[in-house]
Amino acid sequence: MSWVLYPEWISKSTTSSAVNAACYISDRFLCSVLMIMMKSSKMKGVIDVLAMQREKRISLQKSIIIDYTKASDSFTVARFIFECGFKLEAHPLTISTAATLYHRFMREAVPQGYDSYLIGSTCLYLAGKMKDNHLKIRDVMNVSYSTLHRGAAPLELGDQYWGMRDAIVQAELLIMRMLKFQVMPEHPHKYMLHFLRSLQAWFGEEEWQKYPVARTSMSLLQDFHHIPAILDYPPNLVAIACINLALQIYGVVVPLMDECDQQPWFNVFCKDLTRDKLWEIMEKIMASYDEEPETRDH
Amino acid sequence: MVDKLRRYEKIDFLGEGQFATVYKAKDSLTDRIVAVKKIKVGSRAEAKDGINRTALREIKLLQELKHDNIIGLLDVFGYKSNVSLVFDFMDTDLEVIIKDSSLVLTPANIKAYLIQTLQGLDYLHFNWILHRDLKPNNLLISSEGVLKIGDFGLAKFYGSPNRINTHQVVTRWYRAPELLYGARLYGTAIDMWAIGCILAELLLRTPFLPGESDLDQLTRIFQALGTPTEETWPGMTQLPDFIQFKPFPAIPLKDIFTAAGDDLLDLLASLLNINPLERCTCDQALQMPYFSNNPPPTLKAKLPLPMTIKRQPEEKPSLKRKLLEATDGASLAKRLQF
Repeated sequence: MSWVLYPEWISKSTTSSAVNAACYISDRFLCSVLMIMMKSSKMKGVIDVLAMQREKRISLQKSIIIDYTKASDSFTVARFIFECGFKLEAHPLTISTAATLYHRFMREAVPQGYDSYLIGSTCLYLAGKMKDNHLKIRDVMNVSYSTLHRGAAPLELGDQYWGMRDAIVQAELLIMRMLKFQVMPEHPHKYMLHFLRSLQAWFGEEEWQKYPVARTSMSLLQDFHHIPAILDYPPNLVAIACINLALQIYGVVVPLMDECDQQPWFNVFCKDLTRDKLWEIMEKIMASYDEEPETRDH
Repeated sequence: MVDKLRRYEKIDFLGEGQFATVYKAKDSLTDRIVAVKKIKVGSRAEAKDGINRTALREIKLLQELKHDNIIGLLDVFGYKSNVSLVFDFMDTDLEVIIKDSSLVLTPANIKAYLIQTLQGLDYLHFNWILHRDLKPNNLLISSEGVLKIGDFGLAKFYGSPNRINTHQVVTRWYRAPELLYGARLYGTAIDMWAIGCILAELLLRTPFLPGESDLDQLTRIFQALGTPTEETWPGMTQLPDFIQFKPFPAIPLKDIFTAAGDDLLDLLASLLNINPLERCTCDQALQMPYFSNNPPPTLKAKLPLPMTIKRQPEEKPSLKRKLLEATDGASLAKRLQF
């Protein structure tokens, strides 16, 4: 609800789409680098933030442009949804809704039964309607088309245009029906906001400002939408896992734990959550970075 | 999906609008009478944008809501290129009752309608939803005397401080002054104003502020309640469409609503406070002495109903007009600008 409380990357939608795309790549890449370092250090110890920033700078110079015609696995299509979403200046929640709808649809559908990119574009269009963040159908079509066929001229108003438009309208209804009209996912974002606000007060402003925990948690959460594993866990647990992962990355310890009878910080927000379960989700979040081309080279 | 089609047995055709056809039907599983609103998708030029956004709003919001005084969305199903929404069947609405001169509305009747409306609206606001189109026509009434808020085609989540909304909402006669002045950030107070207008209409049996244009609407508001000043409504002059009106003195409410008691006038004054920040909330309204004072609200089963419904409950098609208007997008004032 209160976007104003979120870290600054949420407000990207006010900048140009080119900048958005760059931020998006760099954010993802930052997290990827963090992931690799986490793994190499076997999730122990503190990460050298300077080295991380160096890596990030290098990564910016070699962000990869994906040829979406070569693959249609869930990660690649989700990335396509994100890329188109940024180009359309869609609200971050609209994009995460679209990705969630896509993963849910694909769970219901027979493999290879549908054109993934048509479903992906339609999810974005439908998510825009659901979140009152209206995206024009023609914009969605043009952006999808040029992202899929890089460098191609925009569609002429001909048979192909009307055919694609009709396909999206039909696919929209198909998605609604496949998902039994339950097309309003419950977002982990709202839980995360409240957990972060509580932690902020818990840490105290000065401690809290030392590390970008909020920003990284948000990035991890948004990135987690690239893989269908996000559907497997309740939204409040996903939010906790992203925050805990961000805390681990920066080696930040939640203060005043002695006052909590030795129970971990997250049990304040979710009594039944076990450490094992939490780490299981965190590993899934990290696994979403294994699939991206930027990190495959490493 | 064919099963779903068979599940709801058509009893009566209630009407056809631009985007939907409405049937009265019987749910063969439960024997319950329902209203089936069949949305047409992709069949007309204007529907080429896919599923109608009004229908989508109703689906997404009503799926989450469950309250005695909110219209129930019982089911949604698709067949071929149609989407159908299954609602509680409601026999009539408050507008029909207000206009039916053969009915007498006692103070106890009015209190019963108002309590039900406020309880439904309180639930909506509690769930961060603005209705944005409250009017007698959208307050549906069953033959058991249960009032339910209907038509969620303009409803929307509120609370994001940086989300800009359109001010072109709410049918003009029930539109709050801040909306008429073009406010883009507004809250539950716009629904409360509409409740104030509806309460006034229940007392007068005719619309309280029937403006013929947006400007005329503001004139009528200020003529009745007095022109606000920067002192009585701080920030007013900063609103996008602000214009200075000639200062009218306020007419005391007791001179307009001569039959109303002091407790009712207090409630009315609070609902129709020109300053949105001082207008009461549902919760505050329900706490006011009016609701605990005599007379107690009429029992639901004893609320008045049009003759036609009492005699032949099966024949009354009053919902038809209501659902038709709702699906037509109705008047221009109601339409959203995207």
